[in-house]
Amino acid sequence: MDRDTGKPLFDIFLLVASGIGFYYATTLPSITSAGGITPAFFPKLLSGLIFVCAVPCFIRDSLEWLSQQRERDYKDEGVRGDGPKSAVAQWFFIMVLIIGYALIFERLGYLVSTTLFCFLAVLGMVVLSGEFSNMSSVEKLKSGLSYLVFSIILSSSIFFIFTALFNIPLPN
Amino acid sequence: MLAGYIEGLSMVFQFGTLLAIAGGTLLGIIMGVLPGLTSAMAIALLLPVTFGMPPVMGIGMLLGALCGAGVSGSIPAILLNIPGTPSSVATTFDGYPMAQKGEAGRALGLAIVASFVGGVASMIILSLLAPPIAEFALRFGAAEYFSLSIFGLVIIASVAGKSLLKGLIAGLIGFFASTIGTDPIVGVDRFTFGQLSLLTGINILPALIGLFAISQILKNAFEYDPAEKITAGRHKIDLARPRFVETFRNWRALLAGIGSGSVVGPVPGAGGSIASLVAYDQARRFSKHPEKFGTGHSAGIVSVESANNALLGGALIPTLALGIPGEAATAVLLGGLMIQGITPGPMLFADQSGTIYGIFLAYLVANFAMLLIMCLGIKVFVKVLMVPRKQLLAAIVVFCFIGVYAVDGDVFNIYLMLAFGVLGYFLNRYGFGTAPVILGLILGPIAESNLRRGLQTFQGDWTPFFTRPLSVIFLGVALLLLVATLWQNYRTSKKEKERKMIHDENGMERHTS
Repeated sequence: MDRDTGKPLFDIFLLVASGIGFYYATTLPSITSAGGITPAFFPKLLSGLIFVCAVPCFIRDSLEWLSQQRERDYKDEGVRGDGPKSAVAQWFFIMVLIIGYALIFERLGYLVSTTLFCFLAVLGMVVLSGEFSNMSSVEKLKSGLSYLVFSIILSSSIFFIFTALFNIPLPN
Repeated sequence: MLAGYIEGLSMVFQFGTLLAIAGGTLLGIIMGVLPGLTSAMAIALLLPVTFGMPPVMGIGMLLGALCGAGVSGSIPAILLNIPGTPSSVATTFDGYPMAQKGEAGRALGLAIVASFVGGVASMIILSLLAPPIAEFALRFGAAEYFSLSIFGLVIIASVAGKSLLKGLIAGLIGFFASTIGTDPIVGVDRFTFGQLSLLTGINILPALIGLFAISQILKNAFEYDPAEKITAGRHKIDLARPRFVETFRNWRALLAGIGSGSVVGPVPGAGGSIASLVAYDQARRFSKHPEKFGTGHSAGIVSVESANNALLGGALIPTLALGIPGEAATAVLLGGLMIQGITPGPMLFADQSGTIYGIFLAYLVANFAMLLIMCLGIKVFVKVLMVPRKQLLAAIVVFCFIGVYAVDGDVFNIYLMLAFGVLGYFLNRYGFGTAPVILGLILGPIAESNLRRGLQTFQGDWTPFFTRPLSVIFLGVALLLLVATLWQNYRTSKKEKERKMIHDENGMERHTS
């Protein structure tokens, strides 16, 4: 996604999120303490302020985006301002992988989930960045094996350090 | 004070504490060498390790990491012309030209000693200034604490984001997040949605690791370039020994560095890059040979590196004495103190003087540890630059997960960390900054509870918040700062528009001709 398109989109997210925050703040029970302030006072005030501050940000970022679009049309450039596809793919891949790791962390246990995560993270980055396509079949196999060995050693050594040295229990 | 120092000495000079400080320093050095990994990230990752430690040992470890990261950022700056940390930008001005002359070892030796001297000097300044400030702050009541929290939030929001509004939004998001959980006065649940883990509020550690480590991982994943080859690991470092005599021969530059770091450090949000650039400028101004700056001049390196480490001592003054951090790394350190059950502020000096003076001494020891470890291991640390990024990225994620899970064995904290990580990534990407979010999370409860407590005391009357002298000063300065930042933003955007118009007109002329 283009960086400049993301700016107004993120502002919209802030506007919506602050609106939702304000709505939920109004549903809080209005019990007042001796000072007269309810538990909803700060959440309402803060979500309201976020909304008010996000409006000019949205207007400014949208105008900036529009002027950049016009500039591109004027210059008749065929290339849009999207970031490199591999970078976006790498970002999404790592994001999805981290979420997946969080979901299996307790279910599969530390050792299995961490080995799996490390192996897939390294392999995925190599494949998506195009490093893998430049390798021969033998090199691919060797690299894959080295990533697997790295994943097993890393997860086992961290497991030992935290459980044996720091006495921090990790999910089995 | 003397009794406090004696008690502190007994806490610091224990084998475990010294080992923890050395370990923290080593990790900080390794993190600082790698461009893209920040000192805030280093101490965020170390926080879980400090859980079971006594306060001075834990905080000493974190201070060691800050000291280490402060100096090791100069390694890639000198060898590759790539600053390892933002504060090492100015090190490239003279460090890289010196390395190109084949004197990389000399440049590194100067950087190490200048950092050490800057750190020790700033520790002395910290120990002299923090106690009287804390003593003065004992006069603060609920109104003053409320105003001080607002002042801290405004001051960091005005410098952390790309615009004042964006910085403020980031601070308000943190403040809003701090309202999640059980209400501190009447005990009503707010935004918990039936989630038991949220009843005690947002845990600071998942938020810190998410905002400073996970967001950075996502950024690095986006910017990962396999074509980027690091060759500095193959650099031959000649005579990388500490250059004490040459550093002190540049005493003007040394004083400029210590002065700039100590003055800029306590200003919330100012950061290391500003301190080092100010130091460099001052050193050049007071130098007998200003024309030599930028050509591999030793005074340039001495001024910048001494400022980098002097900054930390300065930034610790408001962090410890008032509970208001100087920049992102000290904001994380503040979180570390709170996890240790220490509430920074004036009462800390009154109630736990042994701990506070122990922290001062731990900072001094961290500087000695940095000097020793850097001198012994400089050739090894240069090799750290060759660590493959993809493997490092995976390892850091694993450390984040374990650190957050270790809080209380609750997987919900991992989800919380991821949420803050994604939020932090977008906040950084679109110019909001993440430091104000942490400040909001830390200062929010102080502001809310003091406002409500104050209103209870004043029987619903708001006027004392705007009439008590200190409260008025804090709010007045915050307001002035808001106006000044708005004015500065307006002038900058006006200049940019003018520059763009001139550029467009020139483009049109070329197009028509």
